[in-house]
Amino acid sequence: MWAYTARRILYAVPIAIGVTVICFGLVYLAPGDPVQMLLPPDASQADVEFLKKLYGFDQPIPIQYFKWLARAVTGDLGTSLQTSRPVLGEVSRALSNTVIISLGAVILAFSLAFVFGTTAAYFVGRPIDRVVTGISVIGVSVPNYWLGIVLIIVFSVELGVLPATGMGSNGSDDFTLTSWNQLKYAILPIITLSMVPLGIIMRSTRAAVAEVLAHDFVQTLRAKGLSELSVLRHAVRNALPQILAVMGLQFGYLVGGSILIETIFTWPGTGFLLSKAILTRDIPVLQGAILVLALCFVATNLVVDLLQTAVDPRIKRA
Amino acid sequence: MTDVTVGSNLGSNLLVDDAPALKVRGYWATVANRLRYDYVTLFFAAVIVLIVLAAMCAPLLAPFDPLKTSMVYRLKPVGFRNFLLGTDELGRDMLSRLIYGGRMSLLMGLVPVVTATILGGMLGVIAGFLGGRTNMLIMRTVDIFYAFPSVLLAVAISGTMGGGMANGLIALTLVFIPPLCRIAETATTQVRNLDFVEAARASGAPTWSIVVHHVLGNVLAPVFIYASSLISVAILLAAGLSFLGLGVEPPTPDWGLMLSTLRQAIYVQPYVCALPGVAIFITSLSFNLVSDGLRQAMDVRI
Amino acid sequence: MSTLRASLKPFAFVAALGAMMVIQPAEVRAESVLRVAMTAGDIPDWTGQPDQGFEGYRFVGWSLYDALINWELSRSDREAPMTPGLAVKWGIDPKDNKRWVFELRKGVKFHDGCALDADLVVWNIQRLIDDKTPGFHPVHYARYRTRTVNIDHAEKIDPTTVAIYTKTPDSLTPYAMSMWYMISKCAAEKVNYDYAQYAKAPAGTGPYKFDRMVPRERLELTKNADYWDPRRVPKHDRLVLIPMPEATTRAAALLAGQIDFLEAPSPDTIPRLKSAGMNVVTLPYPHNWHYQLNFVEPPFNDVRVRRAANYALNRDEMVDMLGGVAQPGYAIYTPTAKLYGNPVKYLYDPKKATALLKEASCYPCAITLAISTSGSGQMQPLPMNELVKAQLEAAGFKVKLEVMDWNALLDVGIKGREKYPQYSGINISRATQDPGYGLLRFVTKQQWSPAGGNWGWYVSPEIEDLTKEAMATFDDEARDLLLTRIHEIASRDAVMLFVTHDLNPRALSPKLKGFVQAQSWFQDLTQIVVGN
Repeated sequence: MWAYTARRILYAVPIAIGVTVICFGLVYLAPGDPVQMLLPPDASQADVEFLKKLYGFDQPIPIQYFKWLARAVTGDLGTSLQTSRPVLGEVSRALSNTVIISLGAVILAFSLAFVFGTTAAYFVGRPIDRVVTGISVIGVSVPNYWLGIVLIIVFSVELGVLPATGMGSNGSDDFTLTSWNQLKYAILPIITLSMVPLGIIMRSTRAAVAEVLAHDFVQTLRAKGLSELSVLRHAVRNALPQILAVMGLQFGYLVGGSILIETIFTWPGTGFLLSKAILTRDIPVLQGAILVLALCFVATNLVVDLLQTAVDPRIKRA
Repeated sequence: MTDVTVGSNLGSNLLVDDAPALKVRGYWATVANRLRYDYVTLFFAAVIVLIVLAAMCAPLLAPFDPLKTSMVYRLKPVGFRNFLLGTDELGRDMLSRLIYGGRMSLLMGLVPVVTATILGGMLGVIAGFLGGRTNMLIMRTVDIFYAFPSVLLAVAISGTMGGGMANGLIALTLVFIPPLCRIAETATTQVRNLDFVEAARASGAPTWSIVVHHVLGNVLAPVFIYASSLISVAILLAAGLSFLGLGVEPPTPDWGLMLSTLRQAIYVQPYVCALPGVAIFITSLSFNLVSDGLRQAMDVRI
Repeated sequence: MSTLRASLKPFAFVAALGAMMVIQPAEVRAESVLRVAMTAGDIPDWTGQPDQGFEGYRFVGWSLYDALINWELSRSDREAPMTPGLAVKWGIDPKDNKRWVFELRKGVKFHDGCALDADLVVWNIQRLIDDKTPGFHPVHYARYRTRTVNIDHAEKIDPTTVAIYTKTPDSLTPYAMSMWYMISKCAAEKVNYDYAQYAKAPAGTGPYKFDRMVPRERLELTKNADYWDPRRVPKHDRLVLIPMPEATTRAAALLAGQIDFLEAPSPDTIPRLKSAGMNVVTLPYPHNWHYQLNFVEPPFNDVRVRRAANYALNRDEMVDMLGGVAQPGYAIYTPTAKLYGNPVKYLYDPKKATALLKEASCYPCAITLAISTSGSGQMQPLPMNELVKAQLEAAGFKVKLEVMDWNALLDVGIKGREKYPQYSGINISRATQDPGYGLLRFVTKQQWSPAGGNWGWYVSPEIEDLTKEAMATFDDEARDLLLTRIHEIASRDAVMLFVTHDLNPRALSPKLKGFVQAQSWFQDLTQIVVGN
């Protein structure tokens, strides 16, 4: 077990390095000069060259990469071209904001999916099963950015019960989960974000529980006289590792892919940060944000894999 | 039946059931039989056919020119005069634009998936068949791309390349190659180790024929099913890219782009503005359900 | 985990949420707060010369800082003129036409107590032009470059008098000084000229003081009760600036009561805002939304084709589509501008347009226009460009719209027709607030891109002569006559495809009273009273 763990962790290192190469290189696909955004529209070429030199963009790319990597390893992801603030600080602040709604979405999705998925698995083949399957397919088919807009119109503009935008009435610094006045800002983003995880977790729950229920040992349990509730409890316990794994992966996926929802709700998370960085060609922020998000995803995958293997050694990746 | 997560969750690498679906005589008959009574799948397959036909015959079906603007008839509601589904912010007929928009959405959904299936599938089969060092090299490189959540990768690639349809297609293809490669590789590896392949090798059959006759047949099914489940994801992602302004350029009709440009008018004609989202939803839903139905019918475990 | 417990989970969750709804801490705010939603994508830089375009100056620059010369923003009925700011008097030295003398206002203190004197003013000027000055920052240098390019150096004459030297005679120098902010040298020195540190406690002389900031979300300023102009001490306690680049988000926020003042509502949200009781105000201001044309490559190198394009446009239809938040544009300046004069007006005449195209043997006439999807001052670029394309094609043009994002368009704008000869024109909105920046940089040879804003390399010997003369004419009235003449010649030569001028729409909550909109890119928020 420990050998496996060590192997998996060690294996993640070249992946991480590969990720850094891609993060760094992505940015150079862009047209235009990196410093263009800092200058007024009719600045001269001479000014552009001057600034490029000052920021080190005139050096050959491999050299820029190694310099960047060397600093990144120590935690220094550079400073934003736009705001001159350290990238790591901005990204970590944004990340914590994204985690709030991602976690909320996954918890909400899990709560509903668990109840309905288990029910559907128990009554497999019957109408309730079909309804649940239908809901889960709808969940993964709805364009959630569209749903977000619709929810804003209904709950914010027409009914006026929930805020349309932002994170807290005084900004994200004051945001707290214990006050309704602040928490209500997170409701619509969480609901919108939870659509896809709802569909996926519901489907996984149903599948996992149904599969366990179809096993022979369940017949044995019934023959032994165990109540249906107990049988169900056993089945769920067996299926739980799988379900939790899916939940973990969904969480990782949400953290990395929240850009559309955060744009609509002006939620100051990593997705929002990323879209702004793309717009303003703020290269250090772009590289830093993508890097942090990708590495988080790698870490989440790793943790999920290890946990699963710990619980059920049959599940192993080569 | 193990129904493992596919679709949007491209990070899943869960393989619980080892036995691949083996081709036997009458297999397709069995599949057809299963499908015959699966009304849901049949219904939505018909919807897909309708959507595809409508997109292909757009010039014949569309009542108006989707690019013709008219300031007088701007943002009219559903059913106004001849505009069955109203008009958009430039006075263009919504119905016509939705029909033509289907072309873009289907294109941006199908092309990346097909391309990625071919490229990724080939890569995976090569990796799985050759094994050893080559396998390691290919799969580890693929794993690096797997480290990115798909939305992030798609937005990052097309965003830094400056948007546009071509860049969007490239970005989406790159996003889908890793999972398809992995599916193909896993399936190939499993088949490769089976007895009958050893037997074929032992009997001196050329590698080429082994690959074609034995391996491909058993790999195609899981790859095909997985690819079909990716189509709905591709459509959603492509529309999302257009929504962010990173996909097709105006005035090309495209559902994601229409959602984005109509957002401004949501206070004037909310129902009209919701239509492109409904179109995306129905298309994505149809592909999802049909893909699920096919998987059940073909009894493929992925 | 039993199914019973599992099925109770969601109810527990809902119950918890319900409990939270009951526990609402009462938020008592004794101070009056004005919350403004800007179209900017991020909080403008508040450490000196702002970014995010003129919006940065409008909300952040003029709130925290003053310049030697300010703008008089208290009236709506005329274009806002310049007015004494931190300098009470200024003029050209009659013996040396490259030397300007500024007499400073006495007794002005910065927010941190630092006193305004000649040394400080000289430092503020030098830090944007001389890289040996402590406090020189390449980003600030680059940002204000277009207006500092002709400033040679500044000198202290006595504690309240400063001399500024230009490299060539330039009668428009006061305009360059009218947005050049004075920041506190004491504050900068204290943090060793590290602007990241200075940003935590910036100090200016403006009507608002810096209070707090949440990165990328909000900037909060409080009123400066000791402001040197008692008429402009803010009538509210706190100003909150929130970047909200999406128009629908801004509208939703105003309707939901999250903000009080909204910049640039999109035309489609205006009826809804009005029906909800919001005040939507519009006023002309020195802005234009035109196309700069390519004078080297065909077909716009032929003046007949340029005139044809102008005749082909039905500007009233454009104004209609925009719901009245714009006015028809027939020249570089708006009709109420000081330097408007009497330019030729290309009134809608598609037949004449077609005739001109045929005369120029360009029928159908193929053109490619570079446009953006968004951007500062770009209004609603996509629908507007679609309309222009439709109107041009009705007269015999064949229009290809090359759509790119704002950054890419700026790149095309900076590098000019030389690097991008495939474009016949580029759609970039312009501010025409000062004559140098608003007029001369589009029509003079010295400003041929990439050295300046003359994107398409237009040149007119007449204008070259008039410009030289104007630069050396230090009598404001006489100089303005020359500049007006230049404006008229530019219209005669159809130097741009003139389309429209934005009417600077804003939406205000009915709670707000006292706002006077100025005919300017800048506005004075200090007079707003926030009611209930």
